[in-house]
Amino acid sequence: MQEFIDFCRGPLFRLTFLVMIFGLIRILILDIWGAVEAYRNAGDKNLAWKSAFIKTIQWLFPVKHVVARRPVYSLISILFHIGLIVVPIFLLAHVQLWKTSVGIAWWTLPYDWANYLTLLTIACSVALLLGRALSKTSRTLSRKQDYLWPILLLLPFATGYICANVTVSPSMYQLVMLTHMLSAEVIFIFLPFTKIAHCVVMPLSQFVMTLAWKFPARIDKKIAATLKKEGQSV
Amino acid sequence: MRNSQITEQERQKAFESKKKAEVVERQHLHVRYHIEDMDVSDRPKRFLTAFAAILRHTNYRFALEHFIRISAKCGRCAVQCPIYTATGDVCDIPCYRSELLLSVYRRHFTLGGMLKGRLLGSGYLTDEMIDEMADTFWNCTACRRCTMECPVGIDHALITHLGRFILSEIGIAPRALVVSTREQLEGKTGNTSAIPLPALIDTLEFLEEDMKEEKGVDIKFPMDVQNAEYLFTPAVSDFLMEAETLMGIAAVFTATGGSWTISTEYFDAINYGLFYNDRILERVILKLYGQAERLNTPKILIGECGHASRSAKQYVPVHCGGKDAKPVFNILEYTYDMLKSGKLKLDPSVITERVTYHDPCNLARLGWIVDKPREIIKAFCKNYVEMTPTKEENICCGGGGGIVSIDEVRSYRTIIGGKAKADQIRATGAKILIAPCANCKKQLRELVEDQGIDCEVVGLHDLIYKAIIFE
Repeated sequence: MQEFIDFCRGPLFRLTFLVMIFGLIRILILDIWGAVEAYRNAGDKNLAWKSAFIKTIQWLFPVKHVVARRPVYSLISILFHIGLIVVPIFLLAHVQLWKTSVGIAWWTLPYDWANYLTLLTIACSVALLLGRALSKTSRTLSRKQDYLWPILLLLPFATGYICANVTVSPSMYQLVMLTHMLSAEVIFIFLPFTKIAHCVVMPLSQFVMTLAWKFPARIDKKIAATLKKEGQSV
Repeated sequence: MRNSQITEQERQKAFESKKKAEVVERQHLHVRYHIEDMDVSDRPKRFLTAFAAILRHTNYRFALEHFIRISAKCGRCAVQCPIYTATGDVCDIPCYRSELLLSVYRRHFTLGGMLKGRLLGSGYLTDEMIDEMADTFWNCTACRRCTMECPVGIDHALITHLGRFILSEIGIAPRALVVSTREQLEGKTGNTSAIPLPALIDTLEFLEEDMKEEKGVDIKFPMDVQNAEYLFTPAVSDFLMEAETLMGIAAVFTATGGSWTISTEYFDAINYGLFYNDRILERVILKLYGQAERLNTPKILIGECGHASRSAKQYVPVHCGGKDAKPVFNILEYTYDMLKSGKLKLDPSVITERVTYHDPCNLARLGWIVDKPREIIKAFCKNYVEMTPTKEENICCGGGGGIVSIDEVRSYRTIIGGKAKADQIRATGAKILIAPCANCKKQLRELVEDQGIDCEVVGLHDLIYKAIIFE
């Protein structure tokens, strides 16, 4: 068992983490490359950069939008995102692992804060899942991954909380720790290939929207020729 | 936005189809709007061929790639959509509508989708999916409120715009728009309302006489003046239906000594291409720009019309030389400048009723023309009230995206499309509703009539005409 845990903590972690990093870099490059091509093709290159930038900031820190509409849902969603980002990166136990393996360290969350934030993230995850499952509108919109992600994201948080706070037998501890690491590694692998990829490309959205309406010049005849519609009436 | 749905009775009336059963049978398509007869064979294949051709020559692919990566299906857009708020139908949720096209893109134009589709033998585009797109894409009024509220940033309006473009390439587009555009680009009169030039000249001379009588001033509609500062082009329907708006504009130019001209070769700023086909959009833009070049006017000025202004503002630079293209303005910008410079004077004692202002989506949504009309109104209308929400967050009149021109869906427009707007207008208690857009005005007049609201719908220059002071 311990050997398997060591394998998950060592080689498997490195592999899945690299899959995530390179997967996200790939998507970011593809997205930016697509935008650069589109910009090159655009007949009008005068973009509303400033407005797109302001809207990007407003959505990355969506205080304005929480107050404006659907405050409960928005607040839960924001707290969920904060927990997802802050806890794994700034947890003392995680930072210590980085320190011993790579030799780098950074600021960490106080123990109590980490605990509260973990519980909050779990609660938000459950609330979002229930909200999706119980609303007819949301059910119609939802795909499989929309239900699976909150569950998958919940797993490392719940198991991490147990490891840090609950006294269990050593064999049970190992099992929980294994679940903790494996669930995180599954997340790493699927993250760049599903909707969670928005964690890196979402800041580009407002620029994509602005740019997408800047069409290439004179496409009429080209499309007509491809569709063999030259000279056809309207 | 108030979250109140329509009653079952209203629903039946709104969705009542006036189309004959044999037409539906012949066209293999059950949509409320009329379409011209088209090739009904192998529509999925033709749809995909058109989609591929469009992707090849346009910029849509990068945006679709971005959208399929980030689409989170949170449903936040639903509460922003005036159509969904009224119907409660899932197919009217912007995110659901977008997914119709995104799923086709994912399945047929991405490697993963193609492999998965082949392996599972599923997901191939069907006639039923095309039917659903043809229906829901034309339920939307293209107001773009959903786009503003998408947390991950999916432009549902762009996806609907593209969906309509592809559908139109296989012959599915509202007949009302296609027939008007054919007349505009290929017909004898060269405009969407089929107004012959002699009739236009007669109308303008008649208006000039009227203005002389009413104001005691020679107010002219200059025609084909070479080297004038502005080429003025309104939505051509204004010449038939919005005489007071045109008189107001002519009066402003006369009072301020502006240099402007109307072209007799082409005098229609309507661009239905913005609503259903980028190729049409381009052809109309080139036709308009050709007149600015012929008359050597350095600037293009569009009348009180949201979509005509946005299409010219956005697509003259795209198709006519980028930053070197002649700049495009909306008449509200000119009038505002004249007011601020002190050249335009308005009498604040003429309009005493309570007035409110409707922001046309195409002018306000992106923050282009928001405060200027308000400052003009406040300069002479003392009893002014705002709607809620307003400005960039305004609610659509219910006739946007071209559906105002589809007469057979009037009940849909005034019961569903304009429901939220009607509630807004009632709440202001205003007797005059200013809407500086030909489309909005037509829709709002039908809306106040069908919903029994005691309110007169006018253009801003209609009121300016009443209050203008000639010195």
